[in-house]
Amino acid sequence: MGAVRMPPAPNREDIDATWNYLQAGITKIMINLQDGMDMTTYMGIYTAVHNFCTSQKAVGLGTSGAVGQAHRGAHLLGEDLYRKLKEYLNEHLAGLYQQSKAHADEALLSFYIREWDRYTIAAKYIHHLFRYLNRHWVKREMDEGKKNTYDVYTLHLYQWRTEFFTKVHEKVMSAVLKLVEKQRNGETIEHGQIKQVVESFVSLGLDEHDASKSTLDIYRFHFEKPFLAATEKFYQAESKQFVSENSVVEYMKKAEARLNEEEERVRMYLHNDIAQPLKKTCNKSLIADHSALLRDEFQVLLDNDREDDMARMYNLLIRIPDGLDPLRQKFEAHVRNAGLAAVTKVALDAEKLEPKVYVEALLETHTRYQGLVKRAFTDEPDFTRSLDNACREFVNRNDICKAGSSKSPELLAKYTDVLLRKSGAGVEEAELDATLTQIMTVFKYIEDKDVFQKFYSRMLARRLVHSNSSSDDAETSMISKLKEACGFEYTNKLQRMFQDMQISKDLNTGFREHLKEDLDKQQPLDSSYSILGTSFWPLTAPNTTFNPPPEIQADLDGFSLFYKKKHNGRKLTWLWQLCKGEVKTGYCKASKTPYTFQVNVYQMAILLMFNDKDAQSYEDILSVTQLTNEVLDSALGILCKAKVLLMKPDGDKPAPGKTFHLNYDFKSKKIRVNLNVGTKTEQKQEEADTNKTIEEDRQLVLQSAIVRIMKARKKMKHSQLVSECISQIKSRFVPKVGDIKKCIEILLDKEYLERLDDDELGYLA
Amino acid sequence: MIKLQSNDNHQIDVEKPVAECSLLIKNMLEDLGEAAVGQTIPIPNVTEPVLRKVIEWCEHHRHDPPSTNEDESDNRKKTTDIDEWDQKFMQVDQEMLFEIILASNYLDIKPLLDVGCKTVANMIKGKSPEEIRKTFNITNDFTPDEEEQIRRENEWAEDR
Repeated sequence: MGAVRMPPAPNREDIDATWNYLQAGITKIMINLQDGMDMTTYMGIYTAVHNFCTSQKAVGLGTSGAVGQAHRGAHLLGEDLYRKLKEYLNEHLAGLYQQSKAHADEALLSFYIREWDRYTIAAKYIHHLFRYLNRHWVKREMDEGKKNTYDVYTLHLYQWRTEFFTKVHEKVMSAVLKLVEKQRNGETIEHGQIKQVVESFVSLGLDEHDASKSTLDIYRFHFEKPFLAATEKFYQAESKQFVSENSVVEYMKKAEARLNEEEERVRMYLHNDIAQPLKKTCNKSLIADHSALLRDEFQVLLDNDREDDMARMYNLLIRIPDGLDPLRQKFEAHVRNAGLAAVTKVALDAEKLEPKVYVEALLETHTRYQGLVKRAFTDEPDFTRSLDNACREFVNRNDICKAGSSKSPELLAKYTDVLLRKSGAGVEEAELDATLTQIMTVFKYIEDKDVFQKFYSRMLARRLVHSNSSSDDAETSMISKLKEACGFEYTNKLQRMFQDMQISKDLNTGFREHLKEDLDKQQPLDSSYSILGTSFWPLTAPNTTFNPPPEIQADLDGFSLFYKKKHNGRKLTWLWQLCKGEVKTGYCKASKTPYTFQVNVYQMAILLMFNDKDAQSYEDILSVTQLTNEVLDSALGILCKAKVLLMKPDGDKPAPGKTFHLNYDFKSKKIRVNLNVGTKTEQKQEEADTNKTIEEDRQLVLQSAIVRIMKARKKMKHSQLVSECISQIKSRFVPKVGDIKKCIEILLDKEYLERLDDDELGYLA
Repeated sequence: MIKLQSNDNHQIDVEKPVAECSLLIKNMLEDLGEAAVGQTIPIPNVTEPVLRKVIEWCEHHRHDPPSTNEDESDNRKKTTDIDEWDQKFMQVDQEMLFEIILASNYLDIKPLLDVGCKTVANMIKGKSPEEIRKTFNITNDFTPDEEEQIRRENEWAEDR
């Protein structure tokens, strides 16, 4: 192809001469642009187009004829030029098509891209050179709604599409796909070519109705579709083979790498539009098609703590719809079984089970799998829910809870008591609070929260009354944690107990002051009283009669007088079973420093009797103290066992007919001797009592819930009432349907409710 | 600096931004790029006096915001207001006026073409056909019958 020589500038009215001139110019641009273009030619071509389009006699000649032709406004020339340009392009493109036949694969790609570049650059030039045509004739045609007329640049694209692209796109695409496959097989390729093909396909997306808009239709249909199909085929084949030759974990690594690769591919040389569909295709052939296999492996990974691989599996399966549900189910079952196993391990001797050991077994399982959820499953809420479900199961229904689900809250409350009680081993404040937070973790899963509340308040009462709580701060912190979890009502009484202790402190101070005013009434007793509101404290009156020793009685009367002056009309009931004190010995021969006995008030009453006589008969003690036999036996039993008193004649148990002698030879390693120890049977009894009151309280809670609901609704179906009742109560415990029905019957008998027709119940005010 | 050459072979130097008021020149400089540097641009359709007049206008309007879109001139079309400087600029003989219009059309200087056309429109506005003929030196080549027919056809457009 030699340089094109330009013919002389044409006469403006001669279409043939004008076209000859233009064709020479256009050819120069199409074929030889790299040789450069001079200004004269550029201006020449522009001027030729301009002159041709303005060559009509009507222009510049002024008057005549203009009116006659004016039906469509001024006639604009240009159709001939436009048609000729189109013909020229078609011819050029036909030539390209012929040349393209000689190429295949990468050579075809190079050819396509080279010609595309050359053509589009030329199109831009020609668009400018034919601007006069664009501005007038083309604009008019388009304004009048003529189809198939485009501005000159668009015309180029349109012709390329219809005359060339439609004939070669399949070959081009197959070359692209071969190249991509090469790259997927690990070869290095010239991916810039593919990027250019993509750009070309995208450019050809012309909106048939509005040339100024572009669409991705062409690209989507001719590029994306085959590309996705090839991708699917490739990965289906590859993964099928890989899976048959490698382990699942290896496959996951492979799939992970492939998915990243494809994302990178989009960034490198594909149009962003393909990102989503490509991801979908890859997800399907790499993950969804093998999801069953992956899921089967999950149990193995769980059993072997393969955290990284579980994370890998999670990241793969989260990409497909409903991919994770089966994992969550397996996870839940696994955690439940792990929790149950942990409990079974520590439950070998259920009778002697330490609350701490039990709670730690629960916690250990929770902590471990919470960590897994966090590290492998990105703390995903649904996995957290599965963890919660599993924990709720194994916390409330395990080997320890065989007898009933109340065992878990009981042990948890006991462990809390151990933590909060003053003990030899000083626990760091921060550490204690962290442990309490862990307690709350288990607490969250407890279904019978009312049982926990019962035990907790009893033990709190004991800690407060015996003032052996490790720290007020820790107690307050625990109460506020419970309040946060269950609301004000749940902790109301606990808080009131706290307040009572504070008030009592002030009261005692006041009493001391009051005594100082009466100096002549010097008290032999260093006493302290706690005034506990009956309705807040889980305490009952003593189960025995008691006649306090005169030393105590005197002080007591003084205090009672003082208290009633302040709070007239209040009734004081003395809880003797909780009273304790210290007595100092002055008779022991074995030690120079006198021993101090820490005793309960019953023991104290007994010991004080020995101030008068060294020996007392069972019957005398009984009549002086007025205690029941049972209580007296227990108190004497401990004193005898510690050898403070000696029983004559010797025997197993204190009983009528025995005499008790003060032991002058009492010996002890410690100066302070604690004789105020409860017996095992007493503890057992207390537990049984607590559990019994729980059942009674539940009846009341259920009945009041039913009345509340019915008062609001007036009328309700039986079954509805039951389910409403469950939903109101379940934050405290899980009520049994049978119990609810029983309560409804009771309320019917008491005529709070009435039976109406059609299984409905009505509220009687 | 850009050198322009009129069709009567006079060279005129203008600054590039001024010359680029013409979309023709602007596009060409863009297309040719390096190859165009230092070359004289032939303007085969415009004579020196007209070219100078056009450049004068471009100099004055060089800082005008570029009219972005061709359709955007819809609003301008509806008014025949012309700013003061342009009115003064257009106070030329009729022949020059038409030459300016043709040149701006050729050089693709849309705002100048608009000013030119508005000037002509203002010359027509409010005049009777007879007065218009007189203004533009047009011979009435209609027969009275033809004239009557045209009047009937365009009756709707008359002022009432």
